[in-house]
Amino acid sequence: MMKHLLAAFLVAAATAVPQHQALAASPPNMLVIGTNLTGIRTLDPADNNARTVSELISNLYDNLVQLAPDDLQKLQPMLATKWTVSPDGKLITMTLRSDAVFQSGNPVTAEDAAWSIQRVIKRGQVGSTDIALWGFTPENVETLVRAKDAHTLEIELPIPVNSDLVLYSLAGSSIGIIDKKTALSHEANGDLGSAWLAANSAGSGPFALSQWRPNDIAVFDAQKKYWGGAPAMARVVARHIPESGNLRLQLQAGDVDVGQYVASGDLDALSKDGKMVIDSVPGLGFYYIALNQKDPDLQKPLVREAFQHAFDWKAIAGNIMRYTGFPWQSVVPRGMIGAPSDSTGRYDYDPAKAKALLAQAGYPNGLSKTLNPSGAATLPFTEALQASARAAGFNLNLVPGEYTPAFRERKYEVLLGNSGARLPDPFAVATQYAYNPDNRDEARLGSYYLWRTAMQVPELNTLVDQSMKERDAGKRTEIFKKIDVTYKSMNPPLIVFFQRTDPYVMRANVKGYHGHTTWSTRWHHVTKE
Amino acid sequence: MASVDVTTQENSTAPAANGPVESEPNDAMKLAVRRFLGRVFAVATTLLGLLFLTFSMGRLLPADPVLAITGAEVSKEVYDRVFKELGLDQPIYIQFLNYVKKVLTGDLGVSAITGQPIVTDLMTIFPATVELAIVAMIVGALLGVPLGITAAVHRGKPIDHVARVIGLAGHSIPTFWMGLMALFIFYAKLQWVGASGRVDVFYEGLVTPVTGFLLLDSAIDGNWEVFRSALGHIILPGSILGYYSVAYISRMSRSFMLEQLSQEYIITARAKGLASRQVIWRHAFRNIRVQLLTVMALTFGGLLDGAVLIETVFAWPGLGQYLTRGLQMNDMNVVMGAVLTIGIVFLIINITSDVLYRILDPRTR
Repeated sequence: MMKHLLAAFLVAAATAVPQHQALAASPPNMLVIGTNLTGIRTLDPADNNARTVSELISNLYDNLVQLAPDDLQKLQPMLATKWTVSPDGKLITMTLRSDAVFQSGNPVTAEDAAWSIQRVIKRGQVGSTDIALWGFTPENVETLVRAKDAHTLEIELPIPVNSDLVLYSLAGSSIGIIDKKTALSHEANGDLGSAWLAANSAGSGPFALSQWRPNDIAVFDAQKKYWGGAPAMARVVARHIPESGNLRLQLQAGDVDVGQYVASGDLDALSKDGKMVIDSVPGLGFYYIALNQKDPDLQKPLVREAFQHAFDWKAIAGNIMRYTGFPWQSVVPRGMIGAPSDSTGRYDYDPAKAKALLAQAGYPNGLSKTLNPSGAATLPFTEALQASARAAGFNLNLVPGEYTPAFRERKYEVLLGNSGARLPDPFAVATQYAYNPDNRDEARLGSYYLWRTAMQVPELNTLVDQSMKERDAGKRTEIFKKIDVTYKSMNPPLIVFFQRTDPYVMRANVKGYHGHTTWSTRWHHVTKE
Repeated sequence: MASVDVTTQENSTAPAANGPVESEPNDAMKLAVRRFLGRVFAVATTLLGLLFLTFSMGRLLPADPVLAITGAEVSKEVYDRVFKELGLDQPIYIQFLNYVKKVLTGDLGVSAITGQPIVTDLMTIFPATVELAIVAMIVGALLGVPLGITAAVHRGKPIDHVARVIGLAGHSIPTFWMGLMALFIFYAKLQWVGASGRVDVFYEGLVTPVTGFLLLDSAIDGNWEVFRSALGHIILPGSILGYYSVAYISRMSRSFMLEQLSQEYIITARAKGLASRQVIWRHAFRNIRVQLLTVMALTFGGLLDGAVLIETVFAWPGLGQYLTRGLQMNDMNVVMGAVLTIGIVFLIINITSDVLYRILDPRTR
């Protein structure tokens, strides 16, 4: 037996190499995505809202509503065919489609939808940050989010909030609708099925999970009975390929169809390849310089102003930022209500002006500070800042590393980072950049960037609060314009230079793959020519 | 000398029925067991110390495991909840004691970054690493030993210099760069091998894991297509990793061989008129086997955790990547689990090479 096995082993080994050639290139009905699967510890929608995992979840679970990739502020039906908002704006009533079924065969009902939303709040994990803002708590959510009948869902809002914001949030991947019966049949220790859902799927989406190995691979098989029609791709594979050079070779060889997190050098090379298409999807976030206001030097408005002129952002716009961002200097993202048509003329690199401002602030011989990147991804950007700031009178001592935790605890001097948000409304970004309801250290409001810089502006707090409650679209536009002007005029401790874009590389024969700004990229309509 | 003492002592108290001839292997056995236990105790203590050091150092890292899970934008409430779930609210020594207590029951905890029990993670990761290390070891030995011996035999001649350059090139060219270049040539241009992971995506999940070694599992299953694909994926990272160790193996083989070649028995053998090949392989090589074994054992241990860059370039789901990611995200359960595994592997390697010494070297019997 052993001898036979060994012989077979050797024969196969000898013939292995030449035969591999025939196997290159992924088949026409299979989509292979080369990505980075680091840090995805569960595929339970309620526990997630980061970028890569959002895409995976969005294809396993349907949402009540969805946002088209090309018009983010236009809500489209998904499991809900229509919805109405009561005249007082306090009750949203949704009608669910009757032809949707979960992968188990169970029909999708309003009870499943209500339970899924309640579950997100009760679990209190990352996903809950998407809807907890609207006043839902583990105590009130069962009465506020309820199934009126099998196909009618009612969502009662406990606090005054613009209903569009609520509906946008329902399109987020963490509010995917789960098969209640299946999930509860796997419940352990009152976890609402979470341990099981970490590595299994129970959705009504166009795909079902067939294999999951964290940090390695996720395999999805098409649901032929999907209510929206069977997807063209019988199988989608998301493979962990952390090394950009390797990913580039696999894209070019045709083994990988879509590449994510490709490094800028490889993007440059791929952009010259006629078989590749690079889609830079605008994101709801910025690249910024953060100045800690607990530092007495950085507290001075003149010093903050000097920083605006210390960064030669134009020099990197054409190279390291070519695919990952475009110049932008407002906290209202481009194209959204209240956004300026152009914001790039607000501050320019001007070393002489920066030096003069520093001298005026009492630092005629310049100023020395420690500079940290938020993480490895922002390091090249930080190096560029260090170099250009030197001529402007700033001696920045660059210490590389992972500084997001320090940033969240206000333990830094100058930091360079990037942000992301998913709610397609300026409110989401304004909350990060212009809102700080409690400036005390012990408040630990690490999710608000303005708190991280230790600055509080009551006027901005009021405006952001108003933007959440206001129901009139015209008035909201005015509020965001006002936020932008106020922010600009105060020499903010968060200096925005670029709006983020996320580059997706696709082989030219892949059609219908649209990277989504809110990260809910769906594969249902993807085809390969 | 010690073994003689023990034998005489025990002989004197042995009943008459047990003659000295019969009791000798028995005593040797006892001695071996005692030695083995002593070694296990020493290693266990070392492991505990190692764990403590790793744990304390991990707590000094700036990385935050909570943020690795929740993302940087998380609210205070969710942060606190996850912080508590990970047990980070306890004092460090309590965390450590709890950890050790669990390890003793075979529970290595749950990874914060994969969400799975460490043991489950290691079940797939460890065989992947060992499989890669074995291929690398075979490549390293097949290249390194003959290279070193040839160099020794031709000491000072051009062939010796060429051998040195070949060996050192493998050690000094960054493996990261070599990996990418090799991918460019053998994957992109020649299309001989696979680029990432352990097998082509089409073959994922076709073979039920039995041993965790994909080459073995696919062979047991008789699925030769998967076997070919797996071989096509392991051969390149395995060869590069193996080539990296050639420098060490060949330099050591060379110096061991030189030492032997200057011995009198070699001169005698040559004087007897034995062919050069016989002198080298039958006489000299037999005597360096034990030393070579030590070198191989150490190299193998190093290959397990030292393959981080190669694992990253080839997206090989192995221990090196797992450990590095654990460190970057301060996932201490992952770090400790990996350190413990490596420690245990070294223990096994030590014991195995001890046993092999006894078989190969008659003086130690």
